[in-house]
Amino acid sequence: MDTAIDIALKFAAITVAFVVVLLIVAYTVLAERRILGFIQGRLGPNRVGYGGMLQPFADLLKFILKEDIVPDKSTRFVYFLAPVIATMAALMTMIVYPFGPEIRIPFTSITIPLVVARFDVALLYVLGVTSIGVYGIALAGWSSNNKYSLMGGLRSAAQMISYELALGLSLIGVIMLAGTLELGRIVELQSGWHGFRWFIFFQPLGFLIYLTAAIAETNRVPFDLPEAETELVAGFHTEYSAMKFALFFLAEYINMFTVSMLATTLFLGGWNVPFAEDIFGRGTFLFGLVSAIGFLLKVIFFLFLYIWLRGTLPRFRFDQLMNFGWKILLPLALFSIFITATLIFLFPNL
Amino acid sequence: MLALLFILFGALAIGCALAVVAQRNPLYSAISLIGVFISLACLYVMLAAPFIAAVQVIVYAGAIMVLVVFVIMLLNVEQEERRRTRLRFLVPTAVVLAAILIAEVAFMLVSVQDFRVIPSEGAPDIGVTHSIGPALFTHYLLPFEITSILLLMAIVGAMTLARRARLLPPNARVVPGAQQLPLSIVDPNAAPDDLRVVEADTADEAARILGIKGLRNQSRQD
Repeated sequence: MDTAIDIALKFAAITVAFVVVLLIVAYTVLAERRILGFIQGRLGPNRVGYGGMLQPFADLLKFILKEDIVPDKSTRFVYFLAPVIATMAALMTMIVYPFGPEIRIPFTSITIPLVVARFDVALLYVLGVTSIGVYGIALAGWSSNNKYSLMGGLRSAAQMISYELALGLSLIGVIMLAGTLELGRIVELQSGWHGFRWFIFFQPLGFLIYLTAAIAETNRVPFDLPEAETELVAGFHTEYSAMKFALFFLAEYINMFTVSMLATTLFLGGWNVPFAEDIFGRGTFLFGLVSAIGFLLKVIFFLFLYIWLRGTLPRFRFDQLMNFGWKILLPLALFSIFITATLIFLFPNL
Repeated sequence: MLALLFILFGALAIGCALAVVAQRNPLYSAISLIGVFISLACLYVMLAAPFIAAVQVIVYAGAIMVLVVFVIMLLNVEQEERRRTRLRFLVPTAVVLAAILIAEVAFMLVSVQDFRVIPSEGAPDIGVTHSIGPALFTHYLLPFEITSILLLMAIVGAMTLARRARLLPPNARVVPGAQQLPLSIVDPNAAPDDLRVVEADTADEAARILGIKGLRNQSRQD
């Protein structure tokens, strides 16, 4: 009986996490359109609801109501499978991120952990599920039976494999400092010193490498070669329409959110807010609330960075992209690991 | 609960494995193989080996199968046709091998009388990351290093194969990393399709090694 309740509680937690994430993602899309509008000296969508607040729901309604066109010569099964894989792989990583510390509901003794699952290899789980996401894009490109789609899919697969190495290596420094792969423990290790114990201060090079590789992993500007519209129409999702296109769109934004959360968790101290412990005291309801809001603000900062980059940077050429990944980022990541290992060996007490 | 999950993932693995063999379209086979790997990872989790499970997904499902799918997409492989005549001698061999396998499984089932599901709580920290690192770098250091050298050999072999010229004349020296230049670039008297392998980076260097004085003036040809 207890296991049944446990499973039901886990399902409830997963549902809540998914709904919150999807809401944030929906408003990221709106924020992107408004901020891009601001950067380019125009207004952006501001008609549906107050200041465009209901625009994401209008978009969703339109995606659902549009005609779903399936190319005649496509490989049906794979064509339908691809957006499902992309979205599923993007959503599956949500369960390991600690959104905040344990929150105790006021006047009761009930505590709610703001994380769905804590297990030993959480970080490797994130990397593994992310690497499954490549299939969504590669298979979409192949099954559409369209040369632009195929080019987009191939480019994306090559790019994601190349940058996955640099991404994985940039995390090694943090793992060496923390001595664990469990994200909750990594966050707890970064508390104290009024925010100066965040791993970004010990791993500045690793942080920059992670940020660059993560942008490439999510196929965003300036690494959005898989959907370079001047060369490839729309890249791997050229033949996708209506809700299937929306799923790819959703997967891209969830991936943005995921890598932002990982950056926050590993480098910016997760839910640790400087001085929050001194003011509210550990374990109180306000402390939990402030920490969760702090986590959210850090993630939103990264999302803003993404949009900012999209508004300002031009796109790489494909050979530049490959050269940058293999000849600059990968050696730099190895160098960062070497320096970290040497410092840990010399000053084991720090 | 544990038994239920085991049956689920075991059935999934066997089903996907059958699909790998049965599918005519190579891409469907590849997708089924990914399914096999992920089901196996789930079984590893149930056997209290989360690290192996994660590595299984990252390495096999995430890296190796991406390359396989990549190759299938690039080569544009069509659906396989039935080739009865060419594979005829394989059928008796397959039957014999399958019989041996079934005999082995039967022997295992008969000889191991005390046969039950061992709960994963028995050995909690064998498959955990913390216990794998020290074991790998102390007790199993030699096998670990030998495996690394094996992988290094594979990389060197791949490089040699990739950089070797494709059509070599019978008396050619094969040097890893050598460049293949048509002789007509350096020698005006050579036939245009004469190829000779020379360890050189530029046409000038090739001409010096071959002992040819006059470089062909490319602009004069036009």
